[in-house]
Amino acid sequence: MSWIREGELTIIERFCANIIKAGPMPKHVAFIMDGNRRYAQKCHVERQEGHSQGFEKLAQTLRWCLNLGIQEVTVYAFSIENFKRSKEEVDGLMDLARQKFSRLLEEQENLKKHGVCIRVLGDLPLLPVDIQELIAQAVLATRNYNKCFLNVCFAYTSRHEISNAVREMAWGVEQGLLEPSDVSESLLDKCLYTNNSPDPDLLIRTSGEVRLSDFLLWQTSHSCLVFQSVLWPEYSFWNLCEAILRFQMNYSALQKARDSYMEERRRQQMERDQDYVTRKLQQEGSASHGDSRRRRTLLQKCTAMREERIQGFLQALEHKRADFFERLCTVSA
Amino acid sequence: RQRWRADGRALRKLPVHVGLVVTEEEPSYADMASLVVWCMAVGISYVSVYDHNGIFKRNNSRLMDEILKQQQELIGLDCSKYTVEFANQDKTGQVLNCQSTLKVLSPEDGKADIVKAARNFCQLVAQQQRTHTDLNVNVLDDLLSSTNGFPDPDLVLKFGPVDSTLGFLPWHIRLTEIISLPSHLNISYEEFFSALHHYAACEQRWGK
Repeated sequence: MSWIREGELTIIERFCANIIKAGPMPKHVAFIMDGNRRYAQKCHVERQEGHSQGFEKLAQTLRWCLNLGIQEVTVYAFSIENFKRSKEEVDGLMDLARQKFSRLLEEQENLKKHGVCIRVLGDLPLLPVDIQELIAQAVLATRNYNKCFLNVCFAYTSRHEISNAVREMAWGVEQGLLEPSDVSESLLDKCLYTNNSPDPDLLIRTSGEVRLSDFLLWQTSHSCLVFQSVLWPEYSFWNLCEAILRFQMNYSALQKARDSYMEERRRQQMERDQDYVTRKLQQEGSASHGDSRRRRTLLQKCTAMREERIQGFLQALEHKRADFFERLCTVSA
Repeated sequence: RQRWRADGRALRKLPVHVGLVVTEEEPSYADMASLVVWCMAVGISYVSVYDHNGIFKRNNSRLMDEILKQQQELIGLDCSKYTVEFANQDKTGQVLNCQSTLKVLSPEDGKADIVKAARNFCQLVAQQQRTHTDLNVNVLDDLLSSTNGFPDPDLVLKFGPVDSTLGFLPWHIRLTEIISLPSHLNISYEEFFSALHHYAACEQRWGK
């Protein structure tokens, strides 16, 4: 299969994998696959060849992840900022995308066999329509597979993603589905393009750059960040193991930080809810004010109503998104 | 003072805003104060201090006292030329000195600030003063308040063994260079300056 290299690990690789798997393993790894152009320069080939090699390396890395039991991978394939590159390079990358997505659609049997769910995350309307259609077909064809998940960020930046999530919540308020007070961190989480995935445990960036470049800024706030100097097309199984070892060394500190962050978040939500209930009770008059049972009942009622509103809103959002893909498919049919 | 300013000028590029992020459990006020004072001495205009437990923020005045003390020790007589303003009423704790400004931040300035801005925008929408299509990246950026007046950090100096930003300004660090140092405890000026040197050597392509 073109997107996931066939093949098993070598004996030495398997030996290493077994050692690593004795420790905690990331369930979701994100990659900033940087260095294709520098690789091309180094090897004296065209940039386009560098990007092509980069794709081959992606296929190989996905195979390694599956061999290691890593079920979910997110990659930064094309940033909205990359549209600023020369027309020649952008067209070349779009052609590569056309090629690879078309190929993907020809391999439906394999996708089914491996249970690969493909998601494409980004401001898709920015892309040429024919690519949008290919993407829609790939996403709809694999949407029910659940053995492993590949998220491709295409025409993506994190700030656009976060703004989009806020815009969707505002749309929800406009539609009468949400109250402004329903807006919370956890609701924003559910409005991101990545809402069906857990946060990445590990983010790897190759080629030596030590920045996030507008990739998954919200989702990686407590992820293990590993910056490696190897150029992406030269990435090896050992580089991957090295990154996972770093993850393992950070594991308990990050768990602890994440847990205390979530605890604080829960506490603040509870405080907000209590304040709301207090105000409601004050409105009802001083008789209700000290009544703790009344307070509990009101708190439960408010929470339940909010939950209901949020479920309704998320369903509407889901429909909107599914609609977008389905409409693209009927156009191309 | 002459020496530090000259050091700053000798670098190919100097960051405009440096985030000092501590991932160690026990922060040291004296060492953080040194780092802040060195940043200002070298000519960095905006400095922010962060730890994921919010310890510096809660003990803001203790940090300010340390900074004042270090300023007097390191920069000596020249200190009298500068008016040091404390904005203790301001919860972010801004200290203005010469041409530098300091903010002390915690996780509530990160995602929580984005959520607050989102809630406020949704309130405007509920009051029909805005529509959802009004919201874009620039609008949201303007609505954030945790770093009012500060440009995005160009550089984060991350201290400690944890390979994570632990919630430091997620929105603002989209293009920030993240340079890691093993610890902020007993940090030397040489180590600090060598990190700045490293930053000066980074090539930034901005997606192009």
